[in-house]
This record gives sequence, C-alpha cells and structure tokens, in this order.
Amino acid sequence: MTSAIEAGTTPDIIMEGPERLVANWGAKGKMIDLSDLWTEEAKADIDANSTAVGKASMGSDGKYYEYPLAMTTHTMAINYEVFEKADALQYLDLENRTWTTENFQKAMQALKDDGVAVTGIVYCGGQGGDQGTRALAMNLFSASFTNPEHTLYTMDSEAGIKGLQLLADMVKDGLLEADAGIAAGDELQLFANGTAQMTWAWNASNAANYAASVTFTPYAMAFPSDDGVPELAGGIWGFGIFDNKDEAKVAAAKKFIKFVSDDSVQGPASVYATGFFPVRASFGDIYAGTEKDANKEFLIFMPYLGDYYNVTPNWAVQRTEWWNLLQRIFAGEDVQTAVATYANNVNIK
Amino acid sequence: MQITPSMAARKRMRRENLIGYAYMMPAILFFLSFVIFPMGMALVTSFTDYSMDSFNFIGLSNYRRMLQDRVFGKAMGNTILIVLVSVPAVTLFSLWVASLVYKMNKHASSFFRVVFYMPIVTGTVAVTVVWKWMFSRYNGLLNYVLNSIGLINGNISWLGDEAYAIWCIILILFTTSIGQPIVLYISALANVDQSLVEASEVDGANNFQLFWKIKWPQIMNTTLYILVITTINSFQIFALIQLLTSGGPNNATNTIMYNIYYHAFKLNEYGYGNAMGIILAIVIGVFSMIQFKLARSDKE
Repeated sequence: MTSAIEAGTTPDIIMEGPERLVANWGAKGKMIDLSDLWTEEAKADIDANSTAVGKASMGSDGKYYEYPLAMTTHTMAINYEVFEKADALQYLDLENRTWTTENFQKAMQALKDDGVAVTGIVYCGGQGGDQGTRALAMNLFSASFTNPEHTLYTMDSEAGIKGLQLLADMVKDGLLEADAGIAAGDELQLFANGTAQMTWAWNASNAANYAASVTFTPYAMAFPSDDGVPELAGGIWGFGIFDNKDEAKVAAAKKFIKFVSDDSVQGPASVYATGFFPVRASFGDIYAGTEKDANKEFLIFMPYLGDYYNVTPNWAVQRTEWWNLLQRIFAGEDVQTAVATYANNVNIK
Repeated sequence: MQITPSMAARKRMRRENLIGYAYMMPAILFFLSFVIFPMGMALVTSFTDYSMDSFNFIGLSNYRRMLQDRVFGKAMGNTILIVLVSVPAVTLFSLWVASLVYKMNKHASSFFRVVFYMPIVTGTVAVTVVWKWMFSRYNGLLNYVLNSIGLINGNISWLGDEAYAIWCIILILFTTSIGQPIVLYISALANVDQSLVEASEVDGANNFQLFWKIKWPQIMNTTLYILVITTINSFQIFALIQLLTSGGPNNATNTIMYNIYYHAFKLNEYGYGNAMGIILAIVIGVFSMIQFKLARSDKE
C-alpha cells in the first residue's frame, strides 16, 4: 500500500483496521471522510455492541475514515487436557473464561510440577501477534497501554512495570519461556503440535484454522488479571475509501460499502465470510446453526473488549519498540530501565 | 565528387556505430529508467524530509541524523561484519571446492555443481523455512545433534540469542552464496592454458607453485568478479533478516538494507531511507574500488 500511495495507484476501496485507515492514512489526508455513512441508526446499532468501535473509526479531526464491518477480541488459549492432567483447571474460572494473576502463577507452577517442559512462550522475535504479549503484560496488574486520549504510551506506569517484572521473574523461575527467535506464527505452531501448552495469539480465525490439525482441545481463555476482570485487545475491520479525486467513484464506493456492510442479507453474509463478529448488534448471532457454529465460543469474550489504543500516534514505531523492549528485558536488562528507554522512544515529545 | 577511401571507411564506421547504439538502445533506456533515474531521485530526496505527507528540502539533516542514530551504527557494524566474514569465506571455499570438482569426471562434476547450485534456484522463503526449523530451539535439528554428541547441554534459541544470531545469518548467507562462484571457478579452472601447466610441471614446479604462479593469475578476472558480486550481495542482505529475525535480537542482526526497509516502508520516512541508501552505495563503491585496486596490483 505504501508503494501504491506514493505511485498514485491506490484502489478506491480498502478493507483494513483503524490503525491504518484512521491513524495513518486518514491522518495524512489520503482518505475520504465517511461521516455521512455514520447515520444515527448506524451509530446506535454499533454503540450497542461496543462504543470502542465508533471511537476508533474517528480521526483526531472528528472525521470518520472507517466504516466498520466486523470485530473480534484477541484471546489466549490453553491445552485443556494438559491443564486437566496437571490439576491446573481448578485455577481457571471456566464459566467466564477468566483467571486471576495469582491463579495464573499457581497454574504454571502446577504444570511445571507435573513435568511440563514448555508451559507458554513469551515470543518477541518480531511484531507478528504482538497484541498477545501486550495484553498479557498489561492485564497482569491492570495497566493501561495508553492514556484515555490516545496521546501517550503508558506502560512505564507502576502497573505496567510490575506486569513486565512478573513475566521476567516467571521466565527466570522456569514457569514460562521467553524466546526472541520466534513470533506469534511460530508460537501457534508450537502450541498446535503440543510443544507449548498455551498460546497468547488466539482468536476465532486461528481456532478455525487449527481445528483440524490439533489433537487436543484448544480452550480459549481471557488473559489473567489481578482483579479477574480482563481487558482484551480488539480487532476491528472495516472499509475506507482512498481520495483518488473522482467524485463519481467515491459516491459509487460509498454505495457499495453501505450495501456490503448494512444490507439485512448481505451484511451478515459479509461478516460471516470474515469469521469474526458483527459490529452491528442488530445482526445478532450469525453463526448459530452454521458450519462455523464453533465461533460462538468467542462471543463470551466480547464484553471484555478493551480500549482500542492502536490509533495512538507513532503506532508503527511502538510496534517495533515493544518486541525490542521484551527482548531487552528477557536478555537481563533491568525492567525499569528497559521500560524507560521504550517510553522515551515511542512517546512523541 | 570523388569519395576518398578514408571518408568511405569513416562513413561505414559511423553507420556501424549507429547500428550498434540502436541495438543497445533498449538496454540503455532500461538502465537509464530503472537504475540511473531512481539513483538520481534517491540522491535528491535524501536531502528532503520526504514522507507520506511532506516533501521539504532539509539539507544534510538526514545525514546528521544518521550520525546520531545508534541503530544505524549498529546496522552498519553488522553489515560490515557480514561482508568481512562472508566474502573471504565464500571465495576461498568456492575456490577449494572448484579445484576438487573440476578434475572429476563429467558426471561427478555435474552432480556436485547441481548440489552446490541448488540453494540458488530454490526460493529464498523455502530455504529460510528449512533453516528456521533447523535452528528451532524446541525441535530443531541443530540442538538435537549438538545435544546428542554432548557439545551443548540444553537447547539454545540460535536466532533469539545475541551471541549466535548473526553467525546463523552468516552461515545461511554462505550456503546460498557459494553456488555461483563454484560454477564460475570450475569453468575458469577448466579454461587455464594447459600448455603453461604442462611446461611448468616439466620445469619442476610443485603443486603450490603451479597454482600460485600459473593458475591464479589466469583466474584473477573470475576472482575479481566473484569478490565484487559477493560483496554487493552481502551488503544488500535483506530477505534472510526480514524472514528470520526482523533485525533482532536487540538489533544484533540489523543491517543497513533492513534498516532502509524499516524506515522507508514501515515508518514512511522515505527521505531518511534514501539517505541511508546513498551511504550504502558509497560504502559498496569504496569496497569494490579497493578490491579492483588489490586485484590489479596482484595481476601486475
């Protein structure tokens, strides 16, 4: 897309997330304002599901650069049978799919005592699946990744440092592994082939992709948090229109987006094709009675959808700095010093 | 008017020249459009803050920023290390293998040429995936073998450890770089003037003298080509880094090319990326000049 933008050969319509449509291309004047698509009816319907979606779709100039279609929460998953054998399921709230930080530590100890070699791997070899390691570190002591205004990255808070310190300590104690040689794709493979007993990069799409290849029950869980109330990272996908200086095409593109996203028949069918969940509350459960019925497992996590902080300025720099921060911490650098370097590199002065 | 022979010859020569240029024109146009023009653009934009929403002349600011950029310094150091290790290793190993293979019969020689050339015709991504598996900390071949023979005790994250990652990259680069030099050296050694070899043998030259005084000067042009090509390829190492380490851990495998990609395509800092590209081109130019100079003096 970068090449296309510079060459002036962008498509009219693109499906992407707010971090690019809104915070990057929209903020740089490349996108068309879609405010007219956000009718009162659409706002009310989407807000009824999550107010984070509307906030994320709007730029700092008050214009909407995304018209959202589907969303999901990114969770983690455990190997159910291995946890059961180690008697570690007692530390999980299976009804709500949550666990506390304290119980998470106890569960890891139970796995280790049961002879499990690799419980979970805190991957930090690249930015792939970094939402998982961010959610893990944040939730342990309920830290916020950014301030509410999305102008500052705040993992240098006391709660953020405590979470990262706990991860470093757990790695040191052999309760977790850390690996700067892999990213989420590799970690998912290791989870799927039974080497690792947890993955931090789970969602409905990955569950569907790995369903046929795993020989155990991948059990989706929220990330552990000190208060037992997790805040999960979300994925929001929707449409944007590039400003190609053609009014007729813009009008046609808007009409197309409206049909694909809002039509009572096509809208749910479009969401179904993504494998995620509708941003519109009125679409209801689109997977009931279909071959993707298993997706409903993830509906339970929707109330845990947290702030969509990916629209904070300097996001691309932050993504690289995050896994570099983890690499420094797991290489033995003092957590406070490493986090201070991270905060200095990502926050625009 | 009578045409003198010299005028006719000149006219013919001019016509031949024009025909020659006409034949070369497609290549010249391609070269100007896709090499010279982009190089000029890169030079010009390296003096700007060119990004997705800005294009202002900022003089030497990008170059000053580079001097203070710790990651750029690290990337330059890593790149030079890769070049200094891989270029001599590739050249010497290729020469050694070629000197053994070119004496073999036709079938054996073809077999080894195919074996060593294989990584070049195999896609980079496929090669990388295989190496990634071999280096895997959890179920990789390398850990298995080294643990089995007692060289290590416990698994190592080869690509995730600052101490090993760059050497793993150099090893993969080595295996993917030797194919062409081996084939070229086999061909060059086969073309060495046999009458000179036989004459020196009659004069009582030993194997070392035969190689150093007779064969080495005759394969010098091939050596120079291999040195320059390997140097440029090593300086431009990118795909392995992007696919295996993203420059980590802690920038231990970051290279100039990866840094250019990161700034230009991830952060949209095209001006800064181009400034790094200009510096890389200058460094490659200097290295190539030194190699030409040394090879020429060696030839003399």
